[in-house]
Amino acid sequence: MATLKSNFDNVSLPSDKRPLELEPSSCCICGVLQEDAPCAVGEDFEYRCSPDTFLAKQCYGCGLVYLDPRPTLQELDRLYGPEYHAFQCSRESFGTIYKIRKRLEAKRLSALYRNLPANARILDIGCGDGFHLKILREFGPPGWILEGVDASQQAVDSAARAGLTVHHSQVETMRLPDASYDLILLIATLEHISDPRDLFNKIFLLLRPGGRVLVITDNTETGDFALFKGRYWGGYHFPRHWNLFNRRSLEALAHQAGLGIVSLKTQMSPVNWVYSIHNMLQDMEAPQWLVDRFTLHAPVSLAFFTVLNFFESLVGKGALLRAVLERPATQSGEV
Amino acid sequence: MQTKPVAIIGAGLAGLTTARFLKQRQIPFVLYEAGSQVAGMAKSFRDDEGFSYDFGAHFITNRLASALGVGASCRLVRPYGETVALDGRHYGYPFGLLAVPRYVMSAVAAHLDSSTSLAQSAADSMYQLYGKVMAEEIAIPLIEAWSGEDANTLSSAVVEKLPSGVLKTMMLKVAARVMGRAIAIGYSREAPESTSVWHVYPGSGLGSMLEAVAAPVRDEIKLNSPAEAIYVENERAVGVRSAGVDQEVAAVVSTAPCNVLPKLVRGTNKLEHLRGFRYRAMIFVNLRLRGRNLLRDTVVWTPEPQFPFFRLTEAPVSMPWLAPSDKTIITADVGCQVGDESWKSSDEALVEKCISALDPLIPRVRQQVIGARVLRTPIAYPVFHLDYEARRQAFKESSGVAGLYSIGRNGEFEHILMEDVYWRTLKKCRQLVRYITEGVPSRVLDARLSA
Repeated sequence: MATLKSNFDNVSLPSDKRPLELEPSSCCICGVLQEDAPCAVGEDFEYRCSPDTFLAKQCYGCGLVYLDPRPTLQELDRLYGPEYHAFQCSRESFGTIYKIRKRLEAKRLSALYRNLPANARILDIGCGDGFHLKILREFGPPGWILEGVDASQQAVDSAARAGLTVHHSQVETMRLPDASYDLILLIATLEHISDPRDLFNKIFLLLRPGGRVLVITDNTETGDFALFKGRYWGGYHFPRHWNLFNRRSLEALAHQAGLGIVSLKTQMSPVNWVYSIHNMLQDMEAPQWLVDRFTLHAPVSLAFFTVLNFFESLVGKGALLRAVLERPATQSGEV
Repeated sequence: MQTKPVAIIGAGLAGLTTARFLKQRQIPFVLYEAGSQVAGMAKSFRDDEGFSYDFGAHFITNRLASALGVGASCRLVRPYGETVALDGRHYGYPFGLLAVPRYVMSAVAAHLDSSTSLAQSAADSMYQLYGKVMAEEIAIPLIEAWSGEDANTLSSAVVEKLPSGVLKTMMLKVAARVMGRAIAIGYSREAPESTSVWHVYPGSGLGSMLEAVAAPVRDEIKLNSPAEAIYVENERAVGVRSAGVDQEVAAVVSTAPCNVLPKLVRGTNKLEHLRGFRYRAMIFVNLRLRGRNLLRDTVVWTPEPQFPFFRLTEAPVSMPWLAPSDKTIITADVGCQVGDESWKSSDEALVEKCISALDPLIPRVRQQVIGARVLRTPIAYPVFHLDYEARRQAFKESSGVAGLYSIGRNGEFEHILMEDVYWRTLKKCRQLVRYITEGVPSRVLDARLSA
């Protein structure tokens, strides 16, 4: 009989990339003792930044979908490598799509900044390369003070080259003056943040009384989520989206932070549809030319799903949640 | 907030999951492990010839691997099928059996019979579910070989229905073929089955995976420390003794077989009834053979009485890394009782018996055998005897002693697999934390626990 030993060193693993450091998480709204249920197992279908597989859970209490376990904050550089799209949404690489998107965003933002004072101070949290700040600079009055925060040095450099003031900091550790901002933008950022509850508390303090924050984040109450939620849904963006909301959970989060809800709607976006299909094709090892038909660079599928999601948004199933929240103008104890 | 630790007994999946849960919430605990290493029932060994033996489960789901953060080191298990060998022929399980007219007729007749009442025993339940012919020829012989009991004396709870129903199960089987992944069918009841949940094999076996799971709680694990006593005062668990040392505790989480608890507890006789709960012992005869794909399918069920085993598994078909490329392992599952004739048989006699019985299923099997290894386990499966069915149901709700939680496959006395052990353990952990923080306002608690 051969001798037995528990030595498996000669077994080769499926990938030579180092796994990410992961840490446990829980529902940021309902707390650590809240029951939850697993809802998805997935991988980084888009960038293959690590060989890990990831679990998304859904909270029974508020419906929040969150990654558990999730990468530690020390791993952010690996998650958001140089090729990450938010740092590259330039005119050169996106052409017509960039122009259309810019027009659309400018129109959407205009309703929000119409009532701001001429010397308004505006902060874009998670500003990336400054896409929205540039729009405000272009379309807003010259007196506005525009600032951004981003954790990526690359994004900060890119924004600085465009002449924008961007603080290099993780959202979790940013130090900015309290009660100073008239408008805060939180666009496609909330889902990336480790502790949305803490961030909302910070935003409350950063806003002047009466100041508003615009939150745009992926919506989990959509047709594409229902269809692809087990694995491929684009909104998971494994492992970068750590908290994903529906109306109920976003309302609960705002309420906990003392922010009033001015409006809460959904807005169309083709991206999660397109990437759900992209991820499925990628996982099925479909030919690359076919996979490439479903990316941010693919005008036909973007156009098709924009139309589809437009109709979905008419019945409140737009791919994005769009909330305008307000720090109440007068607080108890304040004049 | 309490300062006394929670005592956890046993460093298998359930014990380690509890330890990690408490660690994350900064609740003090001590984990007592009787053995010299972690991993409970999930040890794996690889011999010098390149054959691997998994003592507990072979694989876990990708969902559990992801929850534990070990997905990166897992390999895909190939889709596999199960067949039933009857009268020299093989029938796919479960749908291949539906192609046999007399099984179908009998099953349809059973389902049309409106006179049937609520099934009490496993036999009743099988007659109702499968019809007389399939029940008598397949289901009842298998459950009797598996449990060692007359099917009329077993609870109907042992009859496991398809968790997702027939249609979804067929869909999952088709998806497994299309995707080339071993989609988990019939393995989890706590979380839904899905086309995105399949079996994976942790890079170097479940034992080493649990070593990784244990890493964050390594400092709190006391190895070679069997629990010697659990102290109960006023029907509350208040202490444990290990290595002759008493420790005051806030609660006790035991993963020991539940029928051991009456021997451990001091200060109550509320657990005496657990002595009667029985586990089925098993002998696993692992045959090393030349060749591959020797069985018709990865799992072959053998309900006929001439077979000393009730199930054969050729694991390397779906997990090729378990054996050298031109060789294979076939495991024969032989049900037994501790101390009975089979249990006391020599390894050689057991191997010889299995090889002889295999001959009609694998031509010239004797010439292909290279060697064998026989494993015996006294606690393979819980036996749901009707004698203690009511007490078993009550035990599912509570151990009967406040602050004493009996968890894990053996602790819960449930036939549950790895992933369900995990989710059920987390549920019990939440109950446990609510118990030890009774009276602490939720806001204070939440701030404290997520600090």
